[in-house]
Amino acid sequence: MIETRDLVKTFDGVPALDGLSLTIPDGEFVVLAGPNGSGKTTLVRHFNGLLEADAGEVLVDGTPVQDDLVAARVAVGMVFQHPRDQFVAATIGEEVAFGPRNLGLPHHEITDRVADALDAVGLGGRDEERVAALSGGEQERLAIAGALAMRPAHLVLDEPFTGLDAPAQAAVRDRLAALKAAGTSVVVVTHDLRDVADLADRVVVLRDGTIAADGDYDAVHERLPDLGVRQP
Amino acid sequence: MTAIGLSYAPGDTVVHRLDARTKLLGQFVVALLAFTWTDALALPVVWALVVGGMALARVRLRSVFPGYALPFVLLAFATLTRTVTLGPPWVDVDAGLAATLHSLRVAAILLASAVYVQTTPVSETQAAISRLVPGKPGRFLAAGTSFVLRFLPVLLADLQSARAAQQARLGDQRRLHERMQTVALAGLNRAFERADRFSLALKARCFAWNPTQPRLSFSRTDWLVSAGFVGLLAVAALA
Repeated sequence: MIETRDLVKTFDGVPALDGLSLTIPDGEFVVLAGPNGSGKTTLVRHFNGLLEADAGEVLVDGTPVQDDLVAARVAVGMVFQHPRDQFVAATIGEEVAFGPRNLGLPHHEITDRVADALDAVGLGGRDEERVAALSGGEQERLAIAGALAMRPAHLVLDEPFTGLDAPAQAAVRDRLAALKAAGTSVVVVTHDLRDVADLADRVVVLRDGTIAADGDYDAVHERLPDLGVRQP
Repeated sequence: MTAIGLSYAPGDTVVHRLDARTKLLGQFVVALLAFTWTDALALPVVWALVVGGMALARVRLRSVFPGYALPFVLLAFATLTRTVTLGPPWVDVDAGLAATLHSLRVAAILLASAVYVQTTPVSETQAAISRLVPGKPGRFLAAGTSFVLRFLPVLLADLQSARAAQQARLGDQRRLHERMQTVALAGLNRAFERADRFSLALKARCFAWNPTQPRLSFSRTDWLVSAGFVGLLAVAALA
């Protein structure tokens, strides 16, 4: 479970999060929506300690994130908005192995994790292919595989559909549906609900660093246009 | 698109299969021979090594140029400025010959490095350096080298896209120094932004100074090739 309590974060005196409290139970598919600058990315970067709050706290499975950053980063896998920027290797297999190697795992475990993660995103058996030769949708799926190889309990994806064409969006969406079916908690950050509305157990809408709406899609959808969120 | 010249290209050639330490030794030997062996035989031997390595690794010149265009242009420019004089006799043959030989030495080292980079995954380089330089200095050096090898191709691609964006809006009509200024500034801005995002991604994936290194194995071929390199060094020392 991910829990934030009265989270406050400011950048150069401008509040990005303003006393935000949110609980994400295990296994839930949450869409974190809101217009640009509403605090979505800032919020999720607190989930694994990439940002430190000015006030308030974040707990992952009951442990304050800042007490054990490695545990938090293993538990909360993160896929960033520009997947190409997070790639560290020239080939697909090396790329996915990067995280497990950092954990100091034995070789056979790393091999297993790489194979499982690539299978989960539909890139199985392509270990030796060049990352630079992948399409945008494949790069997004590779970034997801890189996060999955850490075997996270929660997977956070920041704007995973940005810049993808319709078939690539569908492929990523299918993979997210499969992850949801497998019981992984998924948090998708987006300003456009059209791709994930039917997958979402819950939609949380942020505005000015606070929660403006929180509930299942049917409960919040009428308010979405006023909150700057595109919907189906 | 990332320039292949500065990044690993998967393959199954004999050079790909060599241990990273053997290839590092090869790099060292080529560099040493190129600059310390002054015999007339030296340059042909060094180039034979480099061309042979490229052929065995199936590294094409065409794939090397995107990454090494700038140094090659600088070498050509340096040779030209040493050869041509601003007054009589207009062409200085001796200086030109010396500059050409010097440029050929540097070019051989660059091509040897291209063979190494294109045939060796970054993680194997990291593992090899960690084993060759023990302790903390080795880990720092290995991680530093791996960052450079990972980041440089992306940086180069950024500069190329900044240049293309400039050309698309007729930026190539401007003076050379203005074009260079614009591309350099845009490239630097992107590099800093990218470095921020890259470092965040490393943190998110639990970057460690002592990760599990890939297995390195010194095969019979590695022993033979390494012995050949050492033999060459001995011949050069005795010559």
